Amino acid sequence: MNVTSAKVAVAFGGPSPEHDVSILTGLQAARALSGAQRDVMGLYWTKTGDWYRVDASLEATDFVDGVPRGAQVLQLVTGGEGAGFVAGAGRLGRTRPLPVDAVVNCCHGGPGEDGTLQGALDLVGVPYTGPGMAAAALGMDKLAFAGLVQAAGLPTLPRALLDPGLHGRLGGGSPTRTDAIGFPAPYILKPRFGGSSIGVEVVADLDTALARLDVNPHLRAGAVIEPYREDLFDLNIAALTWPQLELSAVERPLRSTAAAEILGYADKYAGGEGMASAPRELPADLAPPLVARLRDAARAVLRLTDARGMARIDFLSDGESLFVNEVNTVPGSLARYLWVDPPIPFIDILDTLIGEALARPAARHSAAGADGSILRNAGGIAGKLA
Amino acid sequence: MILRSVVVGVSVLSMALAGSRWLRVAQREHYLVDAVSRFALRWWTAGPVNLAGLVLAVAGLVLCAHWPGFAFATLAVVAVGPVGLSLRGRTAPLAWTRRLRTLALVWATLEVGALTGGTVAGEGPLTAAATALAVPALVDLACWLTAPVERRLARAHVARAAARLRRVAPTVVAITGSFGKTSTKGYVAHLVGDSKTVVASPASFNNRAGLARAVNEQLADATEVFVAEMGTYGRGEISELCSWIRPDIAVITAVGPVHLERFGSEARVLEAKAEILEGVSCAVLVVDDDRLAALAQQCAARGTRVWRVSAHDEHADVCVIDDGGVLRVWVRGEVMASELSLDARPGNVAAAVAVALELAVPPATIVARLSTLPASPHRLEKARGTGGVVVLDDTYNSNPAGSRAALATLARLGEDARRRVVVTPGMVELGAVQSEENARFAAEAVAVATDLVVVGRTNRRALMRGAHSAPAGAGPSRVVVVRTRPEATTWVRDHLETGDVVLYENDLPDHYP
Repeated sequence: MNVTSAKVAVAFGGPSPEHDVSILTGLQAARALSGAQRDVMGLYWTKTGDWYRVDASLEATDFVDGVPRGAQVLQLVTGGEGAGFVAGAGRLGRTRPLPVDAVVNCCHGGPGEDGTLQGALDLVGVPYTGPGMAAAALGMDKLAFAGLVQAAGLPTLPRALLDPGLHGRLGGGSPTRTDAIGFPAPYILKPRFGGSSIGVEVVADLDTALARLDVNPHLRAGAVIEPYREDLFDLNIAALTWPQLELSAVERPLRSTAAAEILGYADKYAGGEGMASAPRELPADLAPPLVARLRDAARAVLRLTDARGMARIDFLSDGESLFVNEVNTVPGSLARYLWVDPPIPFIDILDTLIGEALARPAARHSAAGADGSILRNAGGIAGKLA
Repeated sequence: MILRSVVVGVSVLSMALAGSRWLRVAQREHYLVDAVSRFALRWWTAGPVNLAGLVLAVAGLVLCAHWPGFAFATLAVVAVGPVGLSLRGRTAPLAWTRRLRTLALVWATLEVGALTGGTVAGEGPLTAAATALAVPALVDLACWLTAPVERRLARAHVARAAARLRRVAPTVVAITGSFGKTSTKGYVAHLVGDSKTVVASPASFNNRAGLARAVNEQLADATEVFVAEMGTYGRGEISELCSWIRPDIAVITAVGPVHLERFGSEARVLEAKAEILEGVSCAVLVVDDDRLAALAQQCAARGTRVWRVSAHDEHADVCVIDDGGVLRVWVRGEVMASELSLDARPGNVAAAVAVALELAVPPATIVARLSTLPASPHRLEKARGTGGVVVLDDTYNSNPAGSRAALATLARLGEDARRRVVVTPGMVELGAVQSEENARFAAEAVAVATDLVVVGRTNRRALMRGAHSAPAGAGPSRVVVVRTRPEATTWVRDHLETGDVVLYENDLPDHYP
């Protein structure tokens, strides 16, 4: 299958807090592909989980009220001959799946980035860009990811589960009890599962952190806590994993206001074009040894997580020390803006991603080993229950 | 014979042009069955040019029964008129949705059927002129014919939305009121949004089809609170909405003379709004209106938990008092927040605070969120325009009480300004009291403003009457008449300078004369 003649579907939206910014990423990708005369369609995933085929030339404002005019309802069918994105459901005898050679996944956060969509597409048998199910799930679980990089000996800040039961176990006491967590206040509190800075809070002490669990809806599915260090700043680097691993320039995102303690969602996306228009220093002005350490750590993270396609690895640094913070396996704007040295046009990045999707699908399920010998020797089921 | 054929041929062109105009009106008026005919009457009688056109068209129709050539007069008028109603539309162009395509097909079939019948019967020119002139009526007929099909199609969406609501099972807050419901909905979403996962229905989605769409497309699985704005044009509509949306908390913000063309009287407006209270466990009512206070009594009597909220009475359950743009919030007689510098209607803020408290949002969170309450777009929103002119955008308001509040804000903000200007096309859908209410508004406007800019023809006569009836000595007010909103903004740009204040009160879409 040739990359330039492949029938490509750009998937975006989804039941995620990052639904809106995903639309921006998706429309950018769709526009770049249609601009290069590729055979491309939009796949809009609603907040409620429905799929629609939409025109690749739509604008963000067409989605303000929900599903844009002229969208065609689809069903995602797994298994069998008719598997795929099926149009014309309800009309008799016309339920053939749309011809799709590869899905360009632009869904940020939620089930588009946590392995759910990846698993569904694996079952359908449609190749897709970006991480496979396991890498996606790992990248979205901040606790599991921190444990993994720590175990591999990479530098990270301590990160612990903040579970609501902690309050009861500690009983009443002074708000400076730190032994329960293992590191001192102030803290930064993050949703355990989440791809962005939505729901992230800085708190002065453990009691405040526990109190926030009750009121911050983003923390309801689980929260992690780590030390908040005012002296640290963000450093980001992107990676393309195919045909061989390539690393981008290092970016230092700038915070829009001095008062903002963490890089906020508004900083990243308020510009209207998503991450591509946020204020930044690129390439970041850093000591060469630090850059070298950062690149080594990024490579190690990619190996550990088995991230695929385009990933962005985020670090924290004070200019000397370096800490792995997180991996974004479906980064905003697909991290296209980080490829400045040498510059890579967005269409070339997309071609690379599609090429990888076609050349090495994320999942090939295998039944090797299930050769029937167990069944032959099993005897009666009733005997096993006895 | 040739002449007769040409007349019929030209009539098709004429009908196509008229069709695109009146189909757009049908779409803008939500496909209500008599809307297009009402608007046609309004347009053809607006101004001397259109009136003359109407006379000419009718004369052509009468005369062409004997002299077929006169049909051209009718066809020409129908093709180009009424003057002012554009083919494509500026504020909202014709959108070829599935529903409109169906309507257009049915309408075209009616036109062609009538024309063919008339031609076969030997009355080609007369039928051509008559059907061309009757385009609005035939569009209405097509609306009536397609209505049952549309209801059937909508039913499937509603069933899906109802099932989704049952599955997601959020706490549902339903808000209605003659005015203030969109602002209140925004306030509720803002006050609660930090503590719970909230989905609010979009502003223009307040009827059956819109709310079904909002649920089907926006109500994600983890939604904890759904805030539904419910509009109504008649009795039974809110009951129907509540039958499948099943609100837990109901809010009525206000009752006033809105959509009286369809309701008849304010008493019937109240009855229609009160339907929202059936079966809820909690009611939030702005009791500054005696009728809503009476409803509160009834609710309490049948065991519904009631939050009485007020913009005056500190002893109400929640009270928000506006002291010249600074708000103070009382909850059960105790001050909860003060020194809030907000341009928000206090009754709406009070209702939203009550809902947030009912939803167990911590008071400290409510206080923190109150300070960042968003201004509703186009609802008395303050902005600084080009050249330092202060712009008060109240273009979404269309009711007398809201207009009065806007004038008060204009007076306050423009106290030291050289000029205070009101730009308005007046208010519509007020039924029998429309003329009177517009006249009263104009009289109050000139008492505050230095200039009144009257836009369009819809309410021109009433506004002028009101402006000139103002008591002598009310101020040296100037009244300016313009045809369209863009002309009004040009006038503002040309005449105002830094520090001047302009209030844009209501805006009518361009299918109004």
